Formats: sequence, structure tokens, C-alpha cells
Amino acid sequence: MGRTVRHVFVAGCVLLWLIPLYLLVVNALTPAAEYAGKPEWTFQGFALLDNLDTAWDVAGIGDSFQSSLLYAVVCGLLAVLVAAMAAFAVVVLPIPRPAFWFWLIYSGTLFPLQMFLAPLFGLYADANLYDTRIGLMLVYTAWAVPFAFFLIRNQLTTMPPELTEAALLDGASFPRIFWRIHVPLMKAGLGAAFIFQFTAVWNDLLLGITLSRSPDVQPVMAALTTLNNAYSSAGPPVILAGALIVSAPTLVLFLVFRGLFLRGVTASAR
Amino acid sequence: MTGTATPAHGAAKPTHVRRRVPVRTPHQAAKTGGGRLGGPLAALPWALPAFAFVGVLLVYPFFRSVYGSFFEDNGFTSSFTGFDNYTRLADDPIFGRSLLNTLMWVAGTLLLPVLAGLLIAVATHRMRCGRIAQLVIVLPFAISGAATAVLWNFMLTSEGAVNQVLRGVGLDGLAQPWLLEWPQNTLSMIVASTWQATGLNVVLFAIGLRAIPRETVEAAELDGASGWRMFRYITLPQLRAVSVVVVGMAIVNSLKAFDMIWILTKGGPSRSSETLALSMYRETFRLFHVGYGSAIALVLSVIVVASSWTYLRRQMPDTSTTAVQS
Repeated sequence: MGRTVRHVFVAGCVLLWLIPLYLLVVNALTPAAEYAGKPEWTFQGFALLDNLDTAWDVAGIGDSFQSSLLYAVVCGLLAVLVAAMAAFAVVVLPIPRPAFWFWLIYSGTLFPLQMFLAPLFGLYADANLYDTRIGLMLVYTAWAVPFAFFLIRNQLTTMPPELTEAALLDGASFPRIFWRIHVPLMKAGLGAAFIFQFTAVWNDLLLGITLSRSPDVQPVMAALTTLNNAYSSAGPPVILAGALIVSAPTLVLFLVFRGLFLRGVTASAR
Repeated sequence: MTGTATPAHGAAKPTHVRRRVPVRTPHQAAKTGGGRLGGPLAALPWALPAFAFVGVLLVYPFFRSVYGSFFEDNGFTSSFTGFDNYTRLADDPIFGRSLLNTLMWVAGTLLLPVLAGLLIAVATHRMRCGRIAQLVIVLPFAISGAATAVLWNFMLTSEGAVNQVLRGVGLDGLAQPWLLEWPQNTLSMIVASTWQATGLNVVLFAIGLRAIPRETVEAAELDGASGWRMFRYITLPQLRAVSVVVVGMAIVNSLKAFDMIWILTKGGPSRSSETLALSMYRETFRLFHVGYGSAIALVLSVIVVASSWTYLRRQMPDTSTTAVQS
């Protein structure tokens, strides 16, 4: 590629990618009352806080935001812990048939969610878990375990077995070895797995709309969908402000922990 | 697929390579099986929580779905009908359209985000502000599918930004209600998802590019390769490993696409932009054809598993994991 062509191409791509983001910001700033029915390309005033406020309170994004934060943090942590224990068992401990256990747990990532939805709905209806926070948390955790397990397992296999042997000779018990040796050494991998699964749970829409209905249980993406369905009545500025709100946590996580994100991506791309 | 989870290079497998534990008295050294490790059952409690979560909430529903797909089930009564659901699928025009849309998604995703990702990664490689350009393109990756869909809804409506731009540059003829007619609706949704998905591919390809040994490039330069020939005969072959991964992920993700379509068109108008993922949802939770929905889910699963096989083979725990150098 000629140097100029290359620079023009990159600049063009960057511009194309920035335009939607620019429109998002500009129109989220536009006062809802002054929105003229078509997208604004220039700043029309500064009503961002009002729009955020409307989306947060009136449209009910706020309640869902808190629910989703709870789901994503708790399920992310729980899934990483459960997955780390399983990976420890499969890689370090002498579990019989490690391949069977690996595939059993990993198979959860292979199939599209649609494969689980109908029976899950039936199961939840029977167990009175439908439309409850605890029900959503259970399914989110289960859904987050397989991939976290995969990431952590990959990291564990790179550790020298002498570590475990030395600790065993010193008379350490399994829990002690796990907490004192493997967990500190796997900090980066565990962090990457948590960020990945936090993002996955936070961004989920399908499980949310299938297994919950009431505003105080619904995850945030479902609330955004509801708001978007009122496109004409709510007004695009408020809806885009809502989109900004739901994107903020994952964007911040991504920008702060870019290194960990990349580690996770490369670990999954082997 | 051999039945062990040991990496081919045994170095990373503690249970397999049983080293002699240095002990004082020789007669103890004869004890094999690492007596200190306890019995094989000692490891089970560590795997049980994961097994319980995955088993009860994923594996059991999976088999329940397979089982349910052989029944005529409307949510209240169910009766065994054998392969009826599947024969009905074959005759259902909506299913045909759904399958076609799904294939369009796969082809479009392979064509747009993967190719764009490769081009952008190559163009920004070793560029002065290349990292910044990459960051901008990766940003949408951190935004959820739902939020992306909401933003693009704003761009694609009849009075949206895309039509505004087209009219602004005098291409009124091209301005149209993007989401209201097939095939434009599926195509414009693929473009919207390209905006989101390209970033990840750029990152993966960039990692692959950085892993190309300098000597290879220098040797090629000495031989007089440059520009297109360098790309065609050096860069592309060296990126093969990464490409397999990117393509595998792209196929699986495009098959699973749901959020974007659900928010932008709900699979409409009149079910014209449905994919298999959407059809299953509508049949099961809107029309209560539970058995029929399960059959669609199974067809989708078979397609997903079959097409991710290549990708998975590289991820098998029993092949030596060649880490991507970053």
C-alpha cells in the first residue's frame, strides 16, 4: 500500500467509526423538547443531565441498573470462583477422567442459548424462580462458568507442577495450596475471566427478557429495549441517553483494564 | 480427540508425569500414586459446584430440549409426534426464509467484519498513530449489542441519520426505509453489527501481525518483495493461525446474533428478517409452539457445533496449545 493511500484509508475508517458515536453524544445532549424529529449534527444546547435523569427515573433504567450491577458483580465473582475450583480439580488434582470433566463443563459454551431457554422457562415456572433476582443470578452464574473455566484452565496448565509438589511435601492441604499458591499466581487470569463474565452478564438481553418481567427484576438491557419500543413517545434524546447509561460501566472497565481484556482475548484465541 | 486432557508436551501436566518425590527412606519411594494426594475422590468436591451449576441449568435443559422437540407441545398439553416437528420445518416457508437470513448473516459477517478487520489491522500495523486508530475501532466492542442496536435504530429509521446524509449529498434515490423491506433490513443490520464486531478482529489480527518474526519480513525484503507481494506471500500465510480463530469466532457469533435483530426489527416486518435464533424465540415464547421451537433450536445448535468444529479442534485440550505471542 502506498503511504498516502494507507493513511487516507485509516483516517476514513476512524471517521466512519466515530460518526455514530458522535451522533450518540450530540443527540443525547439535545433537549428532548426541542428535538425536531430528525438527528441533529450540531450541539443544540446542553440537556444531557436532564435526559439522563429522565431515562434513569421515568424510563426505569435506574432500577434495572442496580439489578444488573448486582447480577454482574455477584455472578461474575461466583462464576470465577466456581470455575477456578473446577479448573484446579481438573488440572492439578488427580481427578479421574479429567477430559470428561473438562468437556462436561466446557460444553456449556458450545450451544446457542436458544437450546436451553424453553426447558429453563418451564423449570423456573415450576420452581417459582421465574421473575426473581435469585433465579436470574443462578442462571447467569451457570452461563458464565464454562468460559471462565476455559480461560483459567488454560492459565493453570502453564504452571509448573513442582509448585504443587513442593507445597505437598511441606504438608499443605488442598485448600491451602489453592488459596496460597494458585490463586495469587493466577491473579491476572482470574481478573480477565471476571471482566469477561461481568461484561457478558451485563450485556445479556435474551435470558433477561425470557426469565423476568417486572421492572425491579429486569436486567438493564431489557429495560433499554422497553424504552426503545417507546421510540416516538420518549424521544430519541432520552433513549440515546439511556444507551449511554447502560454502556458506561463496560466502557469504563474496558478502558481501565484494556491489558487484561487483551490477555483474555489472546488466551481464548489459541 | 484422544480421551485424555493432557497437553501433548507433558511438561504442564502434574498428574501424568509422576516425578519421584525425594524422601529419606528408600522403602517409601516405592509407593506410587502420590500417597500424599489422597484418593482420587479428594478432587471431586472441587469440581462439584461447577458441575452442579452447569449440569442442572445447562446440560439438563439441553437434553430436555432435544427430548421436547419430538413432541407437539403448546405449553399446556404435549403429545409425542416423533419427527413431525422436523418435517413441518422443512415445509415451512418462514423457516426457509429464516435459514436464508441466517446464511446471509454468516456470509455477511465473514465478508465485512473479518475482511475490514484484516485490512485495518494491516494498515495500522507499525503506523505512528496506529494504536489510537485501533482503539477507536475497538471502542464499540465494549458496548453491548442492545445499546448498539438502539443507536443504529436512530441511524436507520426513515428519518434517521443515514437517509439524512444520503439526501444531503444529493442521493435522494438511495434514501429508503432501511428496516422495513427485505433484504435491506438484514443487510443494514449486518452493517450495524460490523460497526461493533470489527474491533475485536482488528485486535486479534494485530496480535498475529506482531507475532510475525522480523527475520521473515527482512528476508522477504532482501528478496525484493514489497507491497502486494509481501502481503500475499508473507503476511497472509503467517496470519493463518489467527485467521482460523477469527473466522471461527465470526461464524459462531453471527449464528447466535439475537439482540441486534430483536431490537431493530423484532424479526419483522411480517417475519422477513428473522434468523433461526429469532424464529426459535418467537415460536416458543410468542406463539407457544414449544416443541417446534425446540426443533428449531436443535437445528441451530447442529449448525453452530458443526461450523465451530474447526475452531474447537484448535482449542482441544489435548493438542499442544501454541500460545499467540503478544
